[in-house]
Amino acid sequence: MALRRKLKAQVLCAFLNFALSPGSEPHNRLAAHLPKEDEHEMEFDTATSVSQSPVKHPLPELEIYCYLLVLIYLIDQKKYSEAKACSSASVARLKNLNRRTVDVLASRLYFYYSLSYELTGDLAEIRGNLLALHRIATLRHDELGQETLLNLLLRNYLHYNLYDQAEKLRSKAPRFEAHSNQQFCRYLFYLGKIRTIQLEYTDAKESLLQAARKAPVAALGFRVQCNKWAIIVRLLLGEIPERTVFMQKGMENALRPYFELTNAVRIGDLELFKSVAEKFSTTFSSDRTHNLIVRLRHNVIRTGLRNISISYSRISLADVAKKLRLDTANPVADAESIVAKAIRDGAIDATIDHANGWMVSKETGDIYSTNEPQIAFNSRIAFCLNMHNDAVRALRFPPNSHKEKESAEKRRERQQQEQELAKHIAEEDDDEF
Amino acid sequence: MDPKLAEVSQLFERFKAACAREDVDTCCNVLSKLKVLLTGFSSLPPLFEDTPNAIHELTLARDIYEHAVLLSVKIGDQDAFERDFFQLKPYYTDASSSRLPPSSQEYMILGLNLLRLLVQNRIAEFHTELELLSSTALENPCIKHAVELEQSFMEGAYNRVLSAKQTVPCKTYDYFMDLLAKTVRDEIAGCSEKAYGYLSVSDARQMLLFSSDNELLQYIKELLLPVLYESL
Repeated sequence: MALRRKLKAQVLCAFLNFALSPGSEPHNRLAAHLPKEDEHEMEFDTATSVSQSPVKHPLPELEIYCYLLVLIYLIDQKKYSEAKACSSASVARLKNLNRRTVDVLASRLYFYYSLSYELTGDLAEIRGNLLALHRIATLRHDELGQETLLNLLLRNYLHYNLYDQAEKLRSKAPRFEAHSNQQFCRYLFYLGKIRTIQLEYTDAKESLLQAARKAPVAALGFRVQCNKWAIIVRLLLGEIPERTVFMQKGMENALRPYFELTNAVRIGDLELFKSVAEKFSTTFSSDRTHNLIVRLRHNVIRTGLRNISISYSRISLADVAKKLRLDTANPVADAESIVAKAIRDGAIDATIDHANGWMVSKETGDIYSTNEPQIAFNSRIAFCLNMHNDAVRALRFPPNSHKEKESAEKRRERQQQEQELAKHIAEEDDDEF
Repeated sequence: MDPKLAEVSQLFERFKAACAREDVDTCCNVLSKLKVLLTGFSSLPPLFEDTPNAIHELTLARDIYEHAVLLSVKIGDQDAFERDFFQLKPYYTDASSSRLPPSSQEYMILGLNLLRLLVQNRIAEFHTELELLSSTALENPCIKHAVELEQSFMEGAYNRVLSAKQTVPCKTYDYFMDLLAKTVRDEIAGCSEKAYGYLSVSDARQMLLFSSDNELLQYIKELLLPVLYESL
């Protein structure tokens, strides 16, 4: 990274002249992308070097490395359209090379290729190319390339909200042990996003939390995004994330809207929820979490209902509607249906008296007189015992295949010692008695 | 004009006339013939070639598929709906961004599809489709209707679902709304079983939106039948 800051046009030119023989085709192609102010310098360089060195045969790796440097330089200088052209040229060059040693550099190049197109908003154009490259990488058993390209493809689909196609690709693509931690984190994040949209919140939570944990500390933006989605998934599952999640270093400002949202869900106040959703609607739209927040409405109502059911032994449905702040045409009937569904789902413990129009909460009773504690203890004990068994099975004993057989002499000696010991103990016993 | 194009247009006019007459059999026959003829054009998906008549052909093909979708709703064939809708989708997403003017029935058909997914209880696909819609699409009444319906269904405000039957944006929605009403009734019955200790017949009739006591008793008999068989 320190090198990246030092990249300037002159430095690059000098390096290109050193690495690739000037006047050769790769050199011309690359130099064309660099700014023209340095032309007089380049001419001077060509004059000297032609007299000095014979024609060099550059390694393909060196050429690809030069491509990479030029590309990074162009992106840092924000010359995105030139970066696009340069990266397309490099990808075309890569298709012809089939050397495993180029793989690592190639995967970096693919990443910047996708990035340059994304920054100019033309991601859809390269989808076909990325798919072809993925095919080639699979044929050549280029695992790092496969991983990188799969992630880039998923990113491409998710950029356009094509969750269906992303899932189809992900489920069919061959999976293997991750080679690169960063790629694995990205894969987990995309997987978590897809699962969230498909309403599989438990899987999504696992993936997103794992991605947030495995990510390197320097990747702050990535971790913020992971955490945002993880918070929403936890809210959708019905659990409230702890306060410490929002107070992580560097993320406080970014997570502020989500903190207020969690507050509204925790209290169960529909009005507050609506106002928070409106206040931060731009943030939520830019994070593409807007649709998920709309789904949270259901959770807010459930929490509010649960609070009411615990606090009141009997409450009229009209009051329930007022407390939940249901702002619909027929709040009482709505409240009745919602309460009925909540009772069926097991969220609250109550009955409805339709004739009088009120909700009667059941008595919680004495839990210890039921079998509940026994069942809870049983499951915990079973879990601990399983863990103990697994640990014992995993114990390894030192290999004792080198133990010598005792020779007859040693055995006699040992037996003599044992007899003396036994006599000694017997004498002691006699003494005591 | 291109002879192939002329032939397809003529056949399409006959198809529209048959639809207006509610002549389902002729419609189906003509539709199959139309689909075979459409394979002759190379400007359609998945090739998307740039022929001189491309825009005309694309618009015509899109109209044909839209009518096919509406026909499948009329017959009540959900599989045909799904097939025709999948063929129609590329016209909305890929072709529209480049060349075609937007269709007037686009939002209605998108709303119909969302409703169908809701009725078939494919909520995951419902949400995936929802993600693909832009914010302007979400403002459209047809789509808003489907979205609000899903929300009420998830929250459990089933009475809102049943009353939404009166406020459909267009008549074609009626078929799916009837199916939805059936599902909702089963849900309400299930919830009421757990929630109410005691419910009078007239109240039950009102909640389940039956028009007479006889219907209610019939419905109860159908519900209890499996329970009776189990106890035997």
